[in-house]
Amino acid sequence: MERDSHQEGEAQVVKNCDPPSDCVPTAETLATSLSLLGNHMFPDPVEKNDSTSVDKEEHATLHQSKVTQKEQHLDAESHSNQVNKLEAEETENSEYQNNESTKSVDRDAEDAGTDNDQSESGEFVVAMLAKAKLEEQGIGVKGRSSLLLEAGTQEPAAFMSHRDEDVTADSWRQHRKHVFVLSEAGKPIYSRYGSEEALSSTMGVMMALVSFVQSGDNIIRSVYSEGHTVVFLQKGPLVLVCVSSSRQSEQQLREELLYVYYQIISMLTQASISRIFEHKKNYDLRRLLAGSEKILDGLLNLVDSDPSFLLAAVHCLPLASSLRDSISQILQKAITPNLVFSILIAKNQLLTIVQEKTVIEDTRLEPTDIHLLLNLIGASSAFQAGEIWTPICLPLFNPDCYFYAYISYLDPPECTVCLLLLSTDKEAFYAVAECKRKIEEAMVAQNSLSLIAKAQSYSVSQVGVSDLRHFMYKPFDVPDNYRQLTQFTSPEMEAPYSSEEEKMRLLDLYRYMHSRIHSTSRPLKLIYQVAERETLLAWVTSKFELYTCFSPLVTKACAITAITKLLRWIKKEEDRLFIRYPPKYSTTTNPSKSSRGGKSDQQDSTDNGFLSLL
Amino acid sequence: MKKPDAKLVLLGDMNVGKTSLLHRYTERKFKDTISTVGGAFFLKQWGPYNMSIWDTAGREQFHGLGSMYCRGAAAVIFTYDVTNWQSLVELEERFLSLTDTANHDCIYAVVGNKADLTDAKAQMSQDSGRPQLLSACPTPPATPASLSGVILHKQVTHEDAVALYGRILRYKGLEEKSSLPAEKMCFETSAKTGHNVDTLFETLFDLMLPSILRKRNENQNSPTVDLEECSVASSKQAKSACC
Repeated sequence: MERDSHQEGEAQVVKNCDPPSDCVPTAETLATSLSLLGNHMFPDPVEKNDSTSVDKEEHATLHQSKVTQKEQHLDAESHSNQVNKLEAEETENSEYQNNESTKSVDRDAEDAGTDNDQSESGEFVVAMLAKAKLEEQGIGVKGRSSLLLEAGTQEPAAFMSHRDEDVTADSWRQHRKHVFVLSEAGKPIYSRYGSEEALSSTMGVMMALVSFVQSGDNIIRSVYSEGHTVVFLQKGPLVLVCVSSSRQSEQQLREELLYVYYQIISMLTQASISRIFEHKKNYDLRRLLAGSEKILDGLLNLVDSDPSFLLAAVHCLPLASSLRDSISQILQKAITPNLVFSILIAKNQLLTIVQEKTVIEDTRLEPTDIHLLLNLIGASSAFQAGEIWTPICLPLFNPDCYFYAYISYLDPPECTVCLLLLSTDKEAFYAVAECKRKIEEAMVAQNSLSLIAKAQSYSVSQVGVSDLRHFMYKPFDVPDNYRQLTQFTSPEMEAPYSSEEEKMRLLDLYRYMHSRIHSTSRPLKLIYQVAERETLLAWVTSKFELYTCFSPLVTKACAITAITKLLRWIKKEEDRLFIRYPPKYSTTTNPSKSSRGGKSDQQDSTDNGFLSLL
Repeated sequence: MKKPDAKLVLLGDMNVGKTSLLHRYTERKFKDTISTVGGAFFLKQWGPYNMSIWDTAGREQFHGLGSMYCRGAAAVIFTYDVTNWQSLVELEERFLSLTDTANHDCIYAVVGNKADLTDAKAQMSQDSGRPQLLSACPTPPATPASLSGVILHKQVTHEDAVALYGRILRYKGLEEKSSLPAEKMCFETSAKTGHNVDTLFETLFDLMLPSILRKRNENQNSPTVDLEECSVASSKQAKSACC
């Protein structure tokens, strides 16, 4: 709820400071915009360093009151807060400073008005956190050893790696991003690192913070400290908390928490989670999620390493449109009643997706749901020879109902091409498995598998622009293509971004650009940033969102020409880079307007065994 | 496509080693597996027969599909972990009722896995195929270096498993005298060393044979065939409808 109202606030702010002239997406506009922005808008690294260090000093001295400040500045005030920030930022020259420090500057002014009440509550928070740390030193070790006794040697080592961590160790604190999930009763549900048992007191403190702010009719959204951002997200009976030192924006972190929430929903459905907690407030949800930690771990690793999540778009495997079409036709022909989605995945990327006609008329498939499916497949492919049949909920499609997913690899033992068929009928396994045989036969006949094996992601050198190192291009919906899945295209990350660290560094730069473009207080249309080791240009228009990375010595004029060339290249290649027209089939015998919220689905969500647990 | 002649289902709590047992039997090796999602379906050639095997997830999350996996089963393997008493309790509380959809002549086996953790004999066995099932072998353990060598406390005894087998028969309304004896149907296995794993599957397949043959004789359509026919019919329908 609070998220929705917050978004309305965002929308307003966006409207307020949207210069209408910026919307025309031509390279000419880019050129003019860039020349309009004077050089003072692009401070060189030296300048930037200076101002950052000044900020840091202020930051440190005001640290404690700021925690209070943030707590008190909750939803009701967030809008006015943003307006303040907007004013403050307008006077600021250093556009490209890191988010946190600019924010801290705004708050300095506001902090002047802090009254006694607030500082008291600040002390309360600090005291609570300190206490939790002390307790953990006792409990942490105890919890860990008991876990070892229980699960110990029979547990595969890989399974235990993160769960096994000593939560009192410094290395545990050093993790870039922690994610915790707990119930409203303060019961631990999931922790990315370390066992939940060992962290129960920390989670208790988190819940105490949430309730403390709640008792004042407010909602806690985030806490900033030096080096860390703590973001809270409440969804129904679940509380999700992220503790990050990644310097991502609060919004981005909240989006990531939302992915975690949706992944949990995809396994249990929203309806059953609320039902369970309605019946028993202190239910231990780990009972139902046991064994699924790997799926959540995998999701969080993907969120960190795959820009699809940041862009909320799907990356599809580049493929000649004729081949993609012929494969889609194979899927279109292999149908059975109640089959709603046929999805083919190759090399962990979407190859094609065919949808039931009435379903697609009603709603379109959201990228988030595809991301969750891809993650599920990635996390459950350890024993790949079999055919998997499992209930799965697509939370954005319908958070309360299950689909039944048939998952099978078409090319064992390599296991790179995966077929995913979604049905609304839980008994349909054998019928759906038969569809797979038909698909398999047709693909053998057309030699599709070997053609798919040849398909690969492309190199940025194919674009033919010398200074361009990497880019991400996400086209927006065009009216006649509304039902299409949101997609983006991006080349392989090549040297100098081939090592894991460098990849992450580039992604971090993109994340930073993204946070500036989508800032709630002051969204930007265009950013040209000269950094130490590369030059970045991010540009959003009504038709696309584009992030580019150039070599550091590129000139502004060069960058503009390069982008014009790039856009032309994408236009030329778009049939290969994107799934252009979503193919459909019809499997419903009675056109009762899609399966969404259909009766059989509802039934399934209630009789999936959860009621018996209560 | 090969039509399965009989269906075997592996049931049991999470982490007892159902996937590992099957993997040991089909791939002849032990590897770390991750928690199964839903259920995984395998076709296994056994002599001239095609056996379909459902390896199910033990997690409560997937409980709702259990009866679907068990529909028409000719054999069910109830799996527990010999070092975990609760895993035996769960079989009776959570999994027994799932077999309501199994064939009326379905056979049941109770299998205690991870025997290598408690039993020196199971630790050594690198699956000879037919190790003696219950002989009290007095040979002292010569623990291979690859194994931990730590003997854990055995929480579930063979007698407990036999008692459970009796209760399963009672639940099914079967006479103990006319059913397969508990001694034959209670196994202790180790997917890690391969101890007793082949014996388990081969014994069950042998015992399923009468049911397979009868089914072939009756030439009765299995639910699989029904559904397949219906899917072929409906796809034709859909084809004509879409133009």
